[in-house]
Amino acid sequence: MSDWVFRAEGVTKSYDKGKSFANREISIEVFPGEVYGLLGPNGAGKSTFVKQVIGLLKPDSGSMRLGEHDLIVDPDAARQLCSYLPQAPMPIESFKLHEAIRLTGEIRGGERDAIAARSEELIEALQIGEWRDTLGAKLSGGVRRLVGFVMVTVVPGRVVILDEPTNDVDPLRRRLLWDQIRRLGEMGAAVFLVTHNVMEAEKSVDRLAIISDGALVAEGTPSSLKIADRGCLRLQVMLSPGAVTPELPSLAREHSRVGNLLTSVIDEDRAGDGIAWARSLMGQGIAEEYALGAITLEDAYIRLTGHVSEEPVEVAS
Amino acid sequence: MTVNAIAPPLGLRAGPRYWWGSLSAVLRWQLTSMRLLLPLLVIVQMLIASGFSIGMSLFFSEVSPTVGLYLGTGSAIITLIVVGLIVAPQLIAAEKEEDTYDFTWSLPTPRSAAVVAWLVLCAIVSVPSMILALVVASWRLEIDYTLNWSIVAAVLLVLVCGTMIGYALAHAIPRPSLTQLLTQVLAFGVLGFTPITFPLENLPPWLASVHQVLPFYHMGVIVRGGLTQGLVEVLWVSYLVVLAWALTAMLVTALVLGRRK
Repeated sequence: MSDWVFRAEGVTKSYDKGKSFANREISIEVFPGEVYGLLGPNGAGKSTFVKQVIGLLKPDSGSMRLGEHDLIVDPDAARQLCSYLPQAPMPIESFKLHEAIRLTGEIRGGERDAIAARSEELIEALQIGEWRDTLGAKLSGGVRRLVGFVMVTVVPGRVVILDEPTNDVDPLRRRLLWDQIRRLGEMGAAVFLVTHNVMEAEKSVDRLAIISDGALVAEGTPSSLKIADRGCLRLQVMLSPGAVTPELPSLAREHSRVGNLLTSVIDEDRAGDGIAWARSLMGQGIAEEYALGAITLEDAYIRLTGHVSEEPVEVAS
Repeated sequence: MTVNAIAPPLGLRAGPRYWWGSLSAVLRWQLTSMRLLLPLLVIVQMLIASGFSIGMSLFFSEVSPTVGLYLGTGSAIITLIVVGLIVAPQLIAAEKEEDTYDFTWSLPTPRSAAVVAWLVLCAIVSVPSMILALVVASWRLEIDYTLNWSIVAAVLLVLVCGTMIGYALAHAIPRPSLTQLLTQVLAFGVLGFTPITFPLENLPPWLASVHQVLPFYHMGVIVRGGLTQGLVEVLWVSYLVVLAWALTAMLVTALVLGRRK
């Protein structure tokens, strides 16, 4: 009897004869019922990792097992036991929405009546019923993404791989989608959620791995990854358009600037000083508003990966 | 509410029911995914198939029975292989270009069922077009066929060989643009310089000897053998050459589909 635990050990994948690494020695365990996030910046090796799970790519070394099945040796078993929503668009231009779902369900081995009932349930849950008879070519990107989700989960695998499932999806249906992702876990599937949307992942995953430059840099629950930042707060200052980044006070432990948003991590007991500094910036016309809040997973993510700034922080002298 | 949830699988599917179920589902998937293109493809193939004989009959006021038989059967043979060899690889290249290839090949179907589904799909377009080509040629070029049972084996073998060569090329070549280019070259070569619509002896000796090794000339020979009497001498070696190419293409397909980068 299989325990259906996914175990990857030392998974390494290189390109150009070992000159660059997509994955380095990645070892993780994911249990049935868990929603497991794979987070990391673009090009970190997240998609490469899940493509090896489904058998589209083969690691240079390491092992990947699902219960008693060796997924690397037996890619046919991998395809039967795992379902995969790729990041790329789904090939459903010529399909009516419900046809695409039911046919994929049949390919995944479901019984017709059961697929029909489950398909309707998911269509209703994600509020996409008004497009039931619409051809894929006429659907918006967000709806196509939701159809893709239903296609791969109407008959779910033991492992369900979702690569950026919420891309292009509107905020309302995004929430409905997260509900359904959680339900996959309740049904006993292990869900791999590949994303770079840290804020969303924080609310939805049980555990997560942060991958940077192909290597696993941290793993745990969202709360456990924030432990290093315990006793800190995040101070966000919205700078006036065109303003040069002001000199940062000594209370700022870390900082980053994306567009006009300057984010600093400060000690909890110096919150008052932080507010005073932010107010003084507003008084000088350098900033428009500020917000003080709890540390998020994003702060931990930035600390661990070193990625966030789309432009370098230029500090005024 | 989650009332009708389907639980994740408890084990692996295997056996004839899995294989035939997959074949049926993949075939319906492919037919539906070509819903907009398929009717157009069939119409274009039928126009090309009948257009050749009509064109020839307009160009030459009189065509001798032997020449007529060559042209008529030749256009039918080309019609039979052109979809699997040239059009189908372009469709696979387009899948790679649109980045939908990964999803298709992540679906849990036996690779052999996916290959057979592809052969059936190509046959659905090719065989009716080939029959139309023969009927139109018979009418416009005033020719009569002498059918014998070997036509069934010949058509099946030629269809499988042509389609599998195209399929193997499309999957083996990683860059879609290269596949597009190669199929253009094949189209030019097969339609223009292959002794299917004319006798092998009409070619320069060196090119004739190349065609003794390539499958196209032999495809023409075995199909003609099933449609005519006395036009060509069908040697078992022609069947063997086509069979060898079909098996090689299948082997390459199996290797390429089994390969993971």
